[in-house]
Amino acid sequence: MQIKGVGISGGIAIGKAYKFQPLEIVVEHKCCEEGCEDEQQLRCDLAKKAAKEQLAALTEEMKNQPDKAKIFAAQQEFLEDEEIDEMIHDAVYYEHYSAEWAIESTYDQFIKIISKSKNALIAERAADLRDVKLRLLCFLTGKKKKDLKHLPENSVIVAKDLLPSDTAEMDRENVAAIVTEEGGSTSHSAIIAKSYRIPAVLGAVGAMSQVEDENLLVVDADEGIVEISPEASLLENYKERKTVADRDAEIAESWAGKPAYTADGVPICAGINIGSHKNTDGYENCDYAGLLRTEFLYMDSNHLPTEEEQFNIYKTILQNMKGKPVTLRTLDIGGDKTLKYKELPKEANPFLGRRALRLCFDEPEIFRTQLRAAYRASAYGKLQIMFPMVGSIDDWRKARDFALAVRKELENEHIDFDRELKLGVMIEIPSAAIIADKLAREADFASIGTNDLCQYLCAADRLEPSVKDYYQTYSPAFVRVLGHIIKQFTLAGKEVSVCGEMAGAHTATALLAGLGLRKFSMAPSSLGKVKYTLSKYTIEQCEQIAAMACNAETQADVMEILEKEAKKRA
Amino acid sequence: MYSKTTTIKNETGLHARPAHDFVNAAKKYSSKITIKNLDDAEAEAANAKSMVMILAEGIAKDTHVEVAADGSDEKEAVEELIALIDSGFGE
Repeated sequence: MQIKGVGISGGIAIGKAYKFQPLEIVVEHKCCEEGCEDEQQLRCDLAKKAAKEQLAALTEEMKNQPDKAKIFAAQQEFLEDEEIDEMIHDAVYYEHYSAEWAIESTYDQFIKIISKSKNALIAERAADLRDVKLRLLCFLTGKKKKDLKHLPENSVIVAKDLLPSDTAEMDRENVAAIVTEEGGSTSHSAIIAKSYRIPAVLGAVGAMSQVEDENLLVVDADEGIVEISPEASLLENYKERKTVADRDAEIAESWAGKPAYTADGVPICAGINIGSHKNTDGYENCDYAGLLRTEFLYMDSNHLPTEEEQFNIYKTILQNMKGKPVTLRTLDIGGDKTLKYKELPKEANPFLGRRALRLCFDEPEIFRTQLRAAYRASAYGKLQIMFPMVGSIDDWRKARDFALAVRKELENEHIDFDRELKLGVMIEIPSAAIIADKLAREADFASIGTNDLCQYLCAADRLEPSVKDYYQTYSPAFVRVLGHIIKQFTLAGKEVSVCGEMAGAHTATALLAGLGLRKFSMAPSSLGKVKYTLSKYTIEQCEQIAAMACNAETQADVMEILEKEAKKRA
Repeated sequence: MYSKTTTIKNETGLHARPAHDFVNAAKKYSSKITIKNLDDAEAEAANAKSMVMILAEGIAKDTHVEVAADGSDEKEAVEELIALIDSGFGE
């Protein structure tokens, strides 16, 4: 039997169900005789004092885990809330409620209001109010709250919902997965599952009634599925998937932070591609950023981003990268990438149209604004600028001269920038690839955009499923073109990097290194796997593989060579 | 009684840390202070010194709000809280 929900943190877990029903304190509507108000108020105050001490202790205990400390700090804020205090006070003195009932009825009113909020992040805060209420009632009734401090090995916690205090004190070592009936991707359960990387399925309606304690459960957090007591064949299938996924995750995690070397100790620069300033994944584990896409600045906005807006974002990224080189790619828009606030003419062949640099040449103010912002930001780290869609020496020179004019402007205005800032080309058009030797003489560096280069070389739209077999990243033709570019730039003593998807594909790692590549820029999540792969090949072996690939006849031949070599080292 | 209106500028709106900062700033004054969501016809003015009431007010980015105070330091209170909102809470 299967239950569906929202998968959190990904991964697959197999374990035994541990149903968790926290203490439910049933409070009766109870009034006290007149004259007892002071006593009831005193009981409320004592409960509040005790809860405050407990929360302060928990905040202190969690101080090395700021995410969780924050939860308990936020709960203290509710405990001290003056509206809640006032309402409890009124309930005791005017309604003659018992301390328990005054707290229960007051908190319930607020829980109802908050949980109805249209803003999901606010609605989830009702869990904190429930948590605080339970803490107060536990003190008043002398009952002890059930907890998750001690669990049997490999437990899958199944609960209606988990309160922040439940998850914070949870016996993490023995939790294989979490399944809850309530909660969404922003709930406390979700935050905790993510921070501990526990596979979880939340919003799994019916879990408490359909799961029995100790049932065998498969929790597939990739798909948001819980399988209850699955059949043998299904279980076997999941076990295999889990083994592969676990091994990959382990490699990725243990290698991500290591420096990249080949088996014979040749150092490789492992870089990351950055697509937003909000996400700093991989900043710690990389040697450089081979591609800072700037489109997000234009596409997420409702106006053309100003120089100041761009400057601030570039500066933030450079400062967060702490002096590691960052390669900014100037605006790559037009064709299929459109802007909400600027009308661009429709074209029959957008990929072959007026995109990127071509658009910037036609709209010099957009180009100038971006280059000014980039140069100004260069004073705060190690920035280099590259131009996308260069197809000829003319394109390169025109873009370079444009940048140098902007540089002159800033000099005249006495604005600070990095005087050693390098200018480079992105090689993604075959006509530029073929004259790599000429470009290498003039440009400071090159970065190969394998995705576009391959689609232009093979004349196959990489987004069109019907021609996917014609888009051949491992064809000898493409391998030779890559080899040519890398060789020409290396001969000229200029740096060359790959920032397309190939750089992050571990299947291509040895091949690229063999073609002479020493700089790989990829999605941060690929760092570990690529570094691990590099460590298994010597440069000589890589070169032999590359030579065989260049001499092969078909893409299938190249792939066979790569797979054979990978298997030897599995 | 003194009041002013403004618009919420920060991404998060008035919850999490910004709400915390707002409540703490309000608590420094002796006046009775309220904040009201002007975009929600059903919303009533909420006690600015109460976290739970501010959350209940559901004040997101771009919401128009009125901050009002009544008491001996009403003017300073309103001016500071409006300035805090306009500063975007440092986001």
